[in-house]
Amino acid sequence: MAGLSEPTTPEGLQLALLNNRFEGIVRAMMNTLLRTSRSAILNTARDFSCCILTGADEMLAMAESLPIHVMSGPDLMARVMKDFHPELRRGDAYLHNSPYHGNSHAADWSVLIPVIDDEGSHRFTVLAKAHLADCGNSEPTTYLASARDVYEEGALIFPCVKVQEDYEDNEDIIRMAQLRIRVPELWHGDFLALLGAARIGERRLLELIDELGAAALERYAEDWFDYSEQRMIDAIKRLPAGSVTVDGRHDPVPGAPEGIPITTKVAVDTDGAIIEVDLRDNLDCQPCGLNLTEATARTAAMVGVFSGIAQVVPPNAGSFRRLRILLRENCVVGIPRHPVSCSAATTDVAEQTGKCVALALAKLGEGFGMAEIGKAQPPSMGVISGIDPREPGGAFVNQLVLATTGGAGTPEADGWLNILGVGAAGFLMRDSVEIDEMKYPIIVREQRLIPDSEGAGRSRGTPGAYVEYGPIEGCTMDVVWLSDGTYNPARGVRGGTDGAPAGQRKRGRDGELSDELGSYARVVLEPGETIVSMSSAGGGYGPPAERDPRRVEKDVREGWITVGRARDVYGVVLDETGVVDAEATARRRLEIGESA
Amino acid sequence: MASHEGLRFAADTGGTFTDLVIEGGRLGTRFYKRPTTPDDPVVGLLDVIGAAAGDLETTTPELLSQAELFVFGTTRATNAVVTRTTARTALLTTKGHPDILLLREGGGRTSLFDYAQEYPDPYIPRSQTFEVPERIDAGGSVLVPLDETATVDLIRHLGDAAIEAVAVSLLWSIVNPAHELRIGELLDQHLPGVPYTLSHVLNPSLREYRRTSSAAIDASLKPVMSSFLASLEQNLAARGFAGRLLIMTAAGGVLDAAAVAEAPIHSIGSGPAAAPVAGRHFAQIDAGADTAIITDAGGTTFDIGLLRRGKVPWTRETIVGHATYGFMTGFPSVDVRSIGAGGGSIAWVDEGGLLHVGPESAGAVPGPASYGEGGTRPTVTDACVVLGYIDPNYFLGGEMKLSAELAQKALGEIAEGLGTDLHAAAAAVLDLAIERMVSAIEGITLNQGIDPAAGPLIGGGGGAGLYAVGLARRLRSPSVIIPEVSAALSAYGALLSDLRRDYSVTHVASTDAFPLDTINQLLNELRSRCESFANGAGVMAESHEVVFSVEARYPNQVWEIDVPLRAGNFTSNGDVESLRQDFHDVHEELFAIRDEGSQVEAVTWRSSVLCHLPRPEPERASLVSQGRAASMRTAYFSSVGALDVPVRELDSIEVDETLRGPVLIESPVTTVVVDPGASATRLESGSLSLRLDGAF
Repeated sequence: MAGLSEPTTPEGLQLALLNNRFEGIVRAMMNTLLRTSRSAILNTARDFSCCILTGADEMLAMAESLPIHVMSGPDLMARVMKDFHPELRRGDAYLHNSPYHGNSHAADWSVLIPVIDDEGSHRFTVLAKAHLADCGNSEPTTYLASARDVYEEGALIFPCVKVQEDYEDNEDIIRMAQLRIRVPELWHGDFLALLGAARIGERRLLELIDELGAAALERYAEDWFDYSEQRMIDAIKRLPAGSVTVDGRHDPVPGAPEGIPITTKVAVDTDGAIIEVDLRDNLDCQPCGLNLTEATARTAAMVGVFSGIAQVVPPNAGSFRRLRILLRENCVVGIPRHPVSCSAATTDVAEQTGKCVALALAKLGEGFGMAEIGKAQPPSMGVISGIDPREPGGAFVNQLVLATTGGAGTPEADGWLNILGVGAAGFLMRDSVEIDEMKYPIIVREQRLIPDSEGAGRSRGTPGAYVEYGPIEGCTMDVVWLSDGTYNPARGVRGGTDGAPAGQRKRGRDGELSDELGSYARVVLEPGETIVSMSSAGGGYGPPAERDPRRVEKDVREGWITVGRARDVYGVVLDETGVVDAEATARRRLEIGESA
Repeated sequence: MASHEGLRFAADTGGTFTDLVIEGGRLGTRFYKRPTTPDDPVVGLLDVIGAAAGDLETTTPELLSQAELFVFGTTRATNAVVTRTTARTALLTTKGHPDILLLREGGGRTSLFDYAQEYPDPYIPRSQTFEVPERIDAGGSVLVPLDETATVDLIRHLGDAAIEAVAVSLLWSIVNPAHELRIGELLDQHLPGVPYTLSHVLNPSLREYRRTSSAAIDASLKPVMSSFLASLEQNLAARGFAGRLLIMTAAGGVLDAAAVAEAPIHSIGSGPAAAPVAGRHFAQIDAGADTAIITDAGGTTFDIGLLRRGKVPWTRETIVGHATYGFMTGFPSVDVRSIGAGGGSIAWVDEGGLLHVGPESAGAVPGPASYGEGGTRPTVTDACVVLGYIDPNYFLGGEMKLSAELAQKALGEIAEGLGTDLHAAAAAVLDLAIERMVSAIEGITLNQGIDPAAGPLIGGGGGAGLYAVGLARRLRSPSVIIPEVSAALSAYGALLSDLRRDYSVTHVASTDAFPLDTINQLLNELRSRCESFANGAGVMAESHEVVFSVEARYPNQVWEIDVPLRAGNFTSNGDVESLRQDFHDVHEELFAIRDEGSQVEAVTWRSSVLCHLPRPEPERASLVSQGRAASMRTAYFSSVGALDVPVRELDSIEVDETLRGPVLIESPVTTVVVDPGASATRLESGSLSLRLDGAF
């Protein structure tokens, strides 16, 4: 039998197949981490990420990792690995959590493994990163806002330290960590999960090299980067050209009593197909835990861009070629110098920076960017600690992950209810009330949406969440939180309104509520007392009076907003059966238009 | 036709086709396929029964009158949930917690940076959700007594609001069910005739979202499934059926139609859940394997199930419908994952030149371009026509004529986008479809701690033979088994299924302070519930067995895993230690690590009663052959290009005969593509076993 036509493998297929293979390897790593980790922050909330970099330290595949963990950082860390350890060998594994060498913050522990082929060449680096339940800070929280420097923060720092050689642990490091991390068994289980995930990635990549050859995989990587870059070029060319400066502010915290102002300058060059984000015009590093790391400053800008370009572009070193992010040293939104504290570098200022960039794109033109996502993390995500009276000697410490909503209006959709932030992007999971009440001596009295708190808009933000909880009888409990959005709520854009601010109060045994407790506090709760957490609502996109009246009708029917707000803010008048009164609505919307 | 006593029927209504298997005595095993009629699935069912009657030269009533058993797999419940055509249902929750269904378990986005996605609506709208003043704590103590006056007012309001079904799901009802039970009584009293579901009765498991979701889905299905099953029974009875009507369940067993009407959530996944049961049978008889991957390649979806050490793994995370917009049942069910990859999956090339296949599907209407029903976009089926794998004149044994010309026309846009010829474009579409299936298989096997190369691949569904060799090559499967009944694998599985019921109780107990008496009492209660089922519904079974298991975890873990119990009671602390060791083993098998020194926390205790229905061995399966002679046809393989390839009718292949690829093996319901470098052997059972060269 003779071949009638010669077989060919189209590039568009090759790319799709290999992309699927690489993403599949990352998912296998993530699955391993999810299934084998011990702490709730990993196996319930899924606060972890995995990725693959090329031998030249370029981000190749990140699957559904948390953007704030991986968009930039792994590239910097892989480079540091080579600088510190010029002789990479198969069987090595490196532990890296240094905020000064490319990691996100000290509580995110990364394990890097160089993938070395049979010829001894370093072909890829795999990275698994997880937010530990505890990282040895001086206080039982992984976001220590009040730390004036890394010494006061207290975390153990590993600047890309070889933790395995020939696939064997360096037991010295394990012992050191066991003496400095709270609930060491829990930590060790999580550490094994991290190593296991990275090793799965290594093994799968070695199989892939074996199957297809390193050269073919390198060619693929280049083609994939070129493809992704072209997708980004196409996306940028659809944006309106121009530049805009957007300022924002994080709420006051110890060490920054006025809060932290943030300035982002975003310039879209459609001819050159480049987006530039300049973050240099910001304060020097501050004596608190809110300074960003280079990884999170860079990533915050990238997340803002990817969230605001209104196209789905594959995030990797290829599409990143079209972003120019300008940072400076010793800057709160920049490159920190040792011993500045970056304890909360993945959340607070990083979130605000990313939100400003997405807002900037919205200001450039209709159809792009997004309003501000509600700010996190109110006491519904506080760290609780104390002694559980239900079991003898039952000390507990844990970060709760109860309801925090905050999705922002976008050009095409209402806010995503469970978004949590631009950096978490609606991928973090929440605790079950029953699981929390079983594991910890607490009662969750309420968890519900707060009506009329949403940022109104053509696409509206999501309302805030009301959560109230406290200790059971016989238990005194500490609650610590670091939130934002109480004094600087999430902003609407293009005529959309701001979301309602965050709030945190204590309810006494008499039922009376305290005054506002602010963005950063440590509160002691006695039995019968509760903490009230109101999460910051998302901002709206576009004028509320342009919202589809049927959607407003549904929001009223579903109790997200009241009839009064529908009429006053959205200009939608409902009849007594709850159905849109078209004529009255048209009149009301005319009035709103005239007064605007 | 000659008279046959005691026939057993099983039908499975899939998204595209309704399959029917009839077996018994000298008739052997026969199967038939006709298009599904989505508007009224009973029509498609009667069509396929009619086709069988025609083939057997009899009438529908005469055929049905010989049926002692009719097992039905129905997507009716699944479809009702997906299309939101269930009853107007109210949800009663604990005061303070009205948003359990809205908030779900957090997260929920599936595509990074795609901010055009809207957040999914809750299964029951907030406007139909009502808070009941009451609260019980984790220890079962009543913190706030049930306010009966307020509850009665609320129930009266439900009547006024034309509510058709009610789900009741209170926090900690699994520890202290008093309030849910009392609300049930009040509903009986003040809202008689409106069906309701109490969460602790239906699904006594931890985690309020999952339990509430189970209760909500179940209650909402009660009116629609009661009337559907009643109409099914009437239709069959009117056509001569006087046997027992059983429904395939999510647990991979069968239950009487009346039992399913009472708790219709059992029928979510009815159909797909039976494929692994059939897969277990063929893995054993054809490959002597107790670990296998079972695939079912349909027109719109590709379903994957597993066999692990002789058992079919289950999950509580079954999602009905779309990954983002669907609803988690929270209900224990056979772990079958479904991806949108099938013959109807649409291929396209994006502006950057990258090929995509699915998840969008051309569905049953308009279907692939080659169906000539108005579809113009290229699908996997069209690619197989272009490649010469599917004979357009012999699709469904010639029942349906396909158009090769329309297939080529549709694939033209792919060829243009990729800059290749038509054959290479079609091969690319098929390769990528297979790659997506591989990803899904890797996902579920990793989750269930199985090496995909550890056992054979059992290929079910009409598309099995098109993907088999490609899948085996990527997964390094030792072999692929394609049963003769592969095109109706679920329906066949239904005939092998046990009458089965599962019961569970949540009671947390640690192995270091294990309350022997309490747990034994609880297991005894579970056993007596099983026995009373066996003595009731299971009374005509040949035999029955009761098995126990426990969902347990290491302290601090939040997810439980399922560990079989060696016996239905603990006689000593030695038995508790055995449980701890068994847990370590299962944990290591699933997750590759064990924590030898750790205690184990047991959470939910489960029992299953399996009643083995009588099933006289039928004669060997015989397919209706069209007696086509061997021929040649041009087919394209990406490894070697276009070749003239022999085409063999499946029935013409003798037992133990081995055909070396390239060869196409056809039956009226499927084509098996044997690539160059692969071979196919006919087995005693009638199955085909495919192997790659060097893969032994």
